[in-house]
Amino acid sequence: MSEEYTPNGSIFVSPRAVATIAYQAALKSYGVVGLSPKNLIHGLTNVLVKDPTQGVDVHYDGQNIVIDMYIVIEYGTRIKTVAGSVANTVRFQVEKSLGTPVSQVNVHVSGLRVSDLD
Amino acid sequence: MEFDSENSHHNKHQLQFLNKPIDGQALKILVEASLTWLRTNQQLVNSLNVFPVPDGDTGINMVLTMQAAYDEIATSAELNFGKMAHAVAHGALMGARGNSGVILSQLWRGFARGVDNFEILDGPKMVHAFAEARDTAYKGVVRPVEGTILTVAKDTAAAAAEALKDTQDPLQILGKSIVAADISVEHTPELLAELKRAGVVDAGGKGLFFLLEGMLRYINGEPLDTAVTTVQPLSAMNLEDTLETIEPGQDYEVVIDFRPFVPLNLEKFYGNLEKMGTSIQVGEGDGIYRMHIHVPIEKRYEPIDYTMSLGTITKIAMENLIDQMQAIEEKARSQKIKLAPVETGQIAVVAVSPGMGIARVFASLGVAGIVEGGQTMNPSTQDILEAFENLPTDQIVILPNNKNIILAAKAAAELTVKKVTVVPSRTVPEGLSAMLRLAPEGDFDSVVSEMNRAIDEVQTGEITTAVRDAEIDGVKVKEGEIIAMLNRKLVYASHSLEKACLGLLEKANASDYELITLFYGADVTKHDAYHIAQSIGEVYQNLEVEVQDGGQPHYHFILSIE
Repeated sequence: MSEEYTPNGSIFVSPRAVATIAYQAALKSYGVVGLSPKNLIHGLTNVLVKDPTQGVDVHYDGQNIVIDMYIVIEYGTRIKTVAGSVANTVRFQVEKSLGTPVSQVNVHVSGLRVSDLD
Repeated sequence: MEFDSENSHHNKHQLQFLNKPIDGQALKILVEASLTWLRTNQQLVNSLNVFPVPDGDTGINMVLTMQAAYDEIATSAELNFGKMAHAVAHGALMGARGNSGVILSQLWRGFARGVDNFEILDGPKMVHAFAEARDTAYKGVVRPVEGTILTVAKDTAAAAAEALKDTQDPLQILGKSIVAADISVEHTPELLAELKRAGVVDAGGKGLFFLLEGMLRYINGEPLDTAVTTVQPLSAMNLEDTLETIEPGQDYEVVIDFRPFVPLNLEKFYGNLEKMGTSIQVGEGDGIYRMHIHVPIEKRYEPIDYTMSLGTITKIAMENLIDQMQAIEEKARSQKIKLAPVETGQIAVVAVSPGMGIARVFASLGVAGIVEGGQTMNPSTQDILEAFENLPTDQIVILPNNKNIILAAKAAAELTVKKVTVVPSRTVPEGLSAMLRLAPEGDFDSVVSEMNRAIDEVQTGEITTAVRDAEIDGVKVKEGEIIAMLNRKLVYASHSLEKACLGLLEKANASDYELITLFYGADVTKHDAYHIAQSIGEVYQNLEVEVQDGGQPHYHFILSIE
């Protein structure tokens, strides 16, 4: 995806690498207690191999980077705020590592984890 | 509710918390105190961000979250501590802004769960609630980063548990927890490399510390409206006014513009500047900082050396304040008072004046000599003598303008070969009234008799503060009360200046007169004087009310009613 040409040759960063950055950023985000597989097949393979990009989708169409995050949020926190903060953090970390602007970060809240009921 | 800094409130707050159980209403007060204190210091918290970060407004976010929490309970009459805590948590959850706001709301949520629906808070419950707050906050993240607000919450809870071994008193436990929170905040750069690189402590942790400290400050009666340190926008800095605040020994003003290498640790910056001088101001705009300080002469280069170690200096301005002050004082002196020129054979008047403003009024009416003096600073015979001995005329009128000075004036009159008459004005308005009859070219004896008559045509009101309890002329006064005297007789006592003035005018039958002149004293502001004049104008709509800067000591107002 992200490509850069230098006198020595070109640098190519794969979507999977970007997804790993986003994944790590999301897990450090307050309120996020996990990322969820998008579908059953993903979920099954995940049991076998711990995927460092689970719940993250990165699309690159040659111009725009679009990241989709599927997250689980701690019950009792303000979902909108947490989701907004994840989007911010992911965008910031990816842009910082890549040096290329991210055009979209879509956050999908796929579930809540209940540790305590009030 | 207001937060005052006066000492008298000190005990009130403490008693409020020492003698009463900490119930829901007490929590409400404490939440407001912590919100106020955080808001006061929000700029400092904002400035602690590791640049550049996506969440660069921690202070604002925490304030808005706490504001939402307080709004939830602001009108609540709930007495149950636990229920009130749940309401706070609900408000914080609904209003959570930013990462720090979400964590804060989780802390409140855990705290509320910890106090369940207990009626009042005691030591063990508080320690339990702190632990719950910590646990709940930690549950909200997969990989807790240490060196953040979470760490501060953890250390605070640990200190509270430790304190419980010594005391059951929740206020003492709170005090010890806050000490631990402070240390924990200072320790955050050791745990988080990003903070250390940026030379700051964690913003969220600092915010939490301010929230806790605000409660304690309120209980201790300390002010909540003065920030620890402040940075203002460059455009808002007003350095012109700082000349008025020069303290002895602060001889040089240094103003430096600089671009810091790394984000400024404001607290440290202020701390170091405070060791050098006073009148510190720091402004920021577009990454450029401007700092202003007054320093003693031997330290005049220290701010420059220090700032150079922090960043790139773009501009330095240094001024010698002593020299400037002298220039200002000289200007003031030259503007002092223009006395009327006297020619040989004319009648000259020497007036005793208790204040600069009054002296100016006398001068504008054509007085040829002014002697300073009044109620507690009677001028000597010699002083009065000197005022007219060198005037190029031998026809002199003295206006003592105070009963106690009449004798000294008469004595001076006998010590000279000049023809001197004392017109015994007992008050400033009497003297001014007499001045209006002065005709410098006129016949001496007829002018003097005109002036003597004028004295009786004016009524004098004086407003001052009673220095002891007394009952005079049928009016009872207590020490510290505002008292009003009409023609040197006590007629009215009150607690407010305005009431004293109005009471006095009523006793003087002011509505029968035409003009009231209000000379305000050295301890009254122009603003207050005009305010009172306006009130008088509203009561006596047919009268003209004039306000003059009298500058006299002791008397808040001298009123001339004519």
